[in-house]
Amino acid sequence: MSAVDLKTISSSAPAAPWRAQFGSSSFLVVPGCIVIVATLLIPLAYVLLLSLNRSQSGVIDLNANFTMANYTKFFFSPFYLRVLAKTIYIAALTTALCAFFGAILAMAIWRAPAHLRGLIVIVVISPLLVSIVTRTFGWMIVLGDNGLINSTLIWLGAISHPLSLMFNDGAVIVGLVHVFLPLMVLPISTALDRVDPNIPQAANTLGASRFVTATQVVLPLATPGIVGGITIVFSLAMSSYITPALMGGPDSGMITTLIYQQFVVTFNWQFGAVLVAILLTVSLVLVGLVLFEFTRRTRKWMVRQ
Amino acid sequence: MMDRIQLYSFRIIAYALYVFLLAPLVCIVIVSFNYEPVQSFPPSSWSFRWYGAALQNANFTNGAMVSALVAFGATLIATPIGVLAAVGLWSSTSRVKPALEALFVAPIVVPGLVTGISLLVALSAIEIRAAPIKLLVGHVLIVMPYVIRTTLASLAQINPALKEAAETLGASPRQTLFQIILPLIRPGIVAGMIFGFILSFDDVNVSLFLVDARTTTLPVSVMSYLQYSFDPSVAAISSLLIGFTFLITVALERLFGLKRLFAGH
Repeated sequence: MSAVDLKTISSSAPAAPWRAQFGSSSFLVVPGCIVIVATLLIPLAYVLLLSLNRSQSGVIDLNANFTMANYTKFFFSPFYLRVLAKTIYIAALTTALCAFFGAILAMAIWRAPAHLRGLIVIVVISPLLVSIVTRTFGWMIVLGDNGLINSTLIWLGAISHPLSLMFNDGAVIVGLVHVFLPLMVLPISTALDRVDPNIPQAANTLGASRFVTATQVVLPLATPGIVGGITIVFSLAMSSYITPALMGGPDSGMITTLIYQQFVVTFNWQFGAVLVAILLTVSLVLVGLVLFEFTRRTRKWMVRQ
Repeated sequence: MMDRIQLYSFRIIAYALYVFLLAPLVCIVIVSFNYEPVQSFPPSSWSFRWYGAALQNANFTNGAMVSALVAFGATLIATPIGVLAAVGLWSSTSRVKPALEALFVAPIVVPGLVTGISLLVALSAIEIRAAPIKLLVGHVLIVMPYVIRTTLASLAQINPALKEAAETLGASPRQTLFQIILPLIRPGIVAGMIFGFILSFDDVNVSLFLVDARTTTLPVSVMSYLQYSFDPSVAAISSLLIGFTFLITVALERLFGLKRLFAGH
């Protein structure tokens, strides 16, 4: 049969299911794939390869002499290891605080009467649309020497000199919790929306108090949302730069601070690339561990049922 | 009794958290009306002078122009590509669909800082050094995932019967796409565009490595301003941004629902 015959037949045949016809033309995704591969994946691979080149300030091109020297430099230096440990510590603490408070906010949205829910959602989520720089600046006003907290305490007579609340790890953690809290609330809240409303009712009928119902019956059902939130917040907190740069003290540098220095100040791109590779690997491994543990527990729990 | 105490403490923590979330933003707006050239809280005398100062600061006005142009350009480029990708994903029955879905969330999963650095390194390697081009490329990656997400969410709500009806009445796949599907998902596309525009306008992490001395976005110039000086003109420009964002937030909540925008983040 010639090509012409085939064409006539297919056009006169009754319309095939739309999905099947169009499915064969999932070529629609091609431009998007090209954009992501060309402007994200290939550049990222290039950076990872660059980390295997001998570090040389000012040299930015890739060459074929690969070496692990930069990685040895990192792992044998107490300074870099301490920065990495500090980064993990700050990200983990931020994540834990976000998980605790995020669960409370998500429960508040879930419990709120319908006419208030939209308002609470706006209050909780709108900070997410304000630039991180602006939000961090807000904290500089709240915590600064002439800021909200110090002025209030002095006015109350509780202190006579302003407390130094800025430029330390605590300030960084407060700022980061503010930045990431909405990102924790969202997945938990989405998971709570899927909880069958009969379940809390059943718990109530069986004599559980409202608090017990909320914390021991409903919240555990949102565990997938909490785990999702933890993975997002942890990996974003690991790679946050702005808040530590603006609110941190001289010793609260995180790995991102070093990365910025290598790429923008000292122009040692090879070693900067090493730091990027280590940041990505450590985030992936730690997030992977959380997911693995969660899956293991879920499976165990399902077997028990 | 116990139950009541527990519920009250729960409620108090929740209210404290609302205050925590809004306090820094409210403080910025209050400080922006300060008269004094140093930031103090609460201001001892009030004025609008720092709004004037902010609008006369070339760093801010040029930055705002660059940010608006980059966000607009990136949205314009990312939207058609993203909508096509979403329709392709939605209609795909292919076995590689999960892999494609993973590919399309990659720009969200990879930290912005890493995206910016990767582009800086790779674009330098091919001798592209013009900041506007670098920024545009980076910001397409910021906008596209959100256009795809909102479009997919709208597509998921289309009643399959409509599509079948169109086919039964003899519409070609192309006609079905342009005359049935696209009009139905328009609100989702618009929400994705607005959202992507804001995220692009607000971005620092990706842009930090792509700007140069002559072409800087507004958030990056605010950031460098904050590192050196502290006068209330930053509060004024930030207040304008907060007001602008707040209006858009309310619009998005009405148009699409904020929770749906971020779901699956």
